[in-house]
Amino acid sequence: MQKVKKWWWQLFVTMSVILVAGLGMGQVAHADTSLQKIKDKGVLTVATAPDYPPFESQVNKNGVSTDVGIDIDISKQIAKDLGVKLVIKNMDFDSILVAVQTGKVDMAIGCINPTDERKQSVDFSNVYYHGGQSFLVTKSNAKKYQSASDLEGQKIGAQTGTLQYSLAQQQMMGSKVVGMGKTPDLIFALKTNKIAAVGLEEPVAKAYAQNDHDLAVVKANYKTAEGESGPAIAFAKGNPELVAAVNKSLDKIAKHHWVNGYLKSAGKYMQENTVDTSMLRYWHYFYNGFLNTTLIAFVSVFLGIILGVILALMKMSKFKILSWPAISYIEIVRGTPMMVQVLLVYFGLGAVINIPALTAGIIAVSLNSGAYVAEIIRGGINSLDKGQTEAAKSLGLNHKDTMRFVILPQAFKNIWPALGNEFISVIKESSIVSIIGVGDLIYELNIVRADTYRGIAPIVVVMVIYFLMTFILTRGLNYLEGKMNHD
Amino acid sequence: MTNPLIAVKHLKKTFEKNEVLKDINGEINAGQVVCIIGPSGSGKSTLLRCINQLERPTSGIVDFDGTDLVQESDQDLAKLGEKIGMVFQNFNLFPNMSVISNLKLAPMRVKGLSDEEATKIGMKYLTSVGLADKAEAYPNSLSGGQKQRVAIARALAMEPQVLFFDEPTSALDPENVGEVLKVMKTLADGTMTMVVVTHEMNFAKQVSDEIWFMADGVIQEKNTPAELFTNPQNPKTQDFIGKVLAD
Repeated sequence: MQKVKKWWWQLFVTMSVILVAGLGMGQVAHADTSLQKIKDKGVLTVATAPDYPPFESQVNKNGVSTDVGIDIDISKQIAKDLGVKLVIKNMDFDSILVAVQTGKVDMAIGCINPTDERKQSVDFSNVYYHGGQSFLVTKSNAKKYQSASDLEGQKIGAQTGTLQYSLAQQQMMGSKVVGMGKTPDLIFALKTNKIAAVGLEEPVAKAYAQNDHDLAVVKANYKTAEGESGPAIAFAKGNPELVAAVNKSLDKIAKHHWVNGYLKSAGKYMQENTVDTSMLRYWHYFYNGFLNTTLIAFVSVFLGIILGVILALMKMSKFKILSWPAISYIEIVRGTPMMVQVLLVYFGLGAVINIPALTAGIIAVSLNSGAYVAEIIRGGINSLDKGQTEAAKSLGLNHKDTMRFVILPQAFKNIWPALGNEFISVIKESSIVSIIGVGDLIYELNIVRADTYRGIAPIVVVMVIYFLMTFILTRGLNYLEGKMNHD
Repeated sequence: MTNPLIAVKHLKKTFEKNEVLKDINGEINAGQVVCIIGPSGSGKSTLLRCINQLERPTSGIVDFDGTDLVQESDQDLAKLGEKIGMVFQNFNLFPNMSVISNLKLAPMRVKGLSDEEATKIGMKYLTSVGLADKAEAYPNSLSGGQKQRVAIARALAMEPQVLFFDEPTSALDPENVGEVLKVMKTLADGTMTMVVVTHEMNFAKQVSDEIWFMADGVIQEKNTPAELFTNPQNPKTQDFIGKVLAD
């Protein structure tokens, strides 16, 4: 009974700490000083997800990749009107609104539709593009589906959480709507006849049709509410001055019809990208991803082992003031998804100190790995015969020397295979850091898929790279393990 | 009359509700060899471990040369290795280091000797157990008898005032028992103070100054080997000696 009570108490304390810390971070004060701050800094920081041409994508020229597209050109104009420099932060689409809310960036642009749900957490500028909505269908079905009404009752695909998704759900009578995270995935589902059509912004659909001759565009006849019928720029709540200043720039762009020009130049970039879509041409994207994934894995495992040793020793301490924090930490980390931890470190810790995404990713993966390594080490130490500690004690060795010379060297030898497995799982699972825009293999994969309009080939390339990494590592670790056993 | 080196007074040890040691009293003088015999589960090993504080006694006094070890903090006990050496049933050599490193570790880390000094002392005791040629070997390449001789040398390298043996030959193959007992006999014939928990009755008879017979957590009888084996007083001792001699 005593034990059960203790556990409940511990759980209660742990959850309270998380809640208080979390709520505290959520309360970032937003006095309306952001416009002045931007001008003082001389920099406008913008979050985007460059996998949605022609609004935003990356162009690959002489081994250097730059963000281009309608949204990027608009951002440049806004920065110019404000008289400041533009800095673009690339991340996953799912993260860009969080980045705005937590103050990591001044605004988010990424073909974001100002839906009612989103308006509850962020403020929006005026809609800056009225291109209307379209469907993509395959060429072979183009005769069958000549207008939107032909598609009613068919399966429609759309990006989850977008205007296209809710429009299809509300207005395509009898249709089942299939939601996916990435447009290239939807296109692939379309080409393999899993769905009949994909709902997209008109310029996006047109861009796909231009670059992929298996696809055709069908105009959608949606009735859309004013102010919801196109993309807008997102801001943290309570910054009317900044929103007003941006709206002024947007009015100027609309008055001069500059968006048409932006669209044309975006199209040119896209043609450049799709002239040669062989994976070889994109090797440096994969190479970058490989370097970052390797860096994250090595640094995280190294820090994870150090943290793991400390946590394991703390957890085994007879002092509750040491063991309880370690136990709570390990339980929390093992009981929550790594994705949540990555987001918490980047946006939570990021609200206090400004850390780059790569650093945040490494910290998050290290903190995660530390908890698992701690349990591996604890298992390794517990598996040792009690006689080893007793012999050391009877010789007069203190606790520290016993750990250092007798216990840990033996424990590490025992847990070597388990540590190797942890290393390999860190390589694979660190892919989750792509959501905060760390350029690891998965992140680069999404960019290459968006740029080349090829759904499968980049996935295969990345899979082969991951496999080679883990395979070579496994062989290397086995070799070292064999060498150790000769002692 | 000189004071005893170790004086145990009213020592009790309880695990959960199981009373393993019930009011143990006894004295060990410098230079004496005491063997503790008795049936399995009688508390022999626990007594040894309660004297050198590997187990903390529930109550009682362990007076070692004027200090009560039961009252000492864990930090102060760290110096115990210089006073009481321990040889275990399962050797407990450190498999991650060579034989000589096993011997050098405590003299260097506890006494603060230099590598050179520790090596010299280590080799001296390794030679005394006849294993100087195994200095660079790893424990796992040794036979059981060799391992136990290394373990004795390791305890000796700390130059303790008394050496405890907890059933030192029980884990050995029969052909290895002799070499270990021979080393122990040489030590006993010298000036070493020794407390030996053992089932080797012949060894106990030959080397002991005094034998303690334990049963049910109590020292039932203490006497010289000659008296205890030929003229046991306590019925439990009589029973045990009868059975042992019948084997």
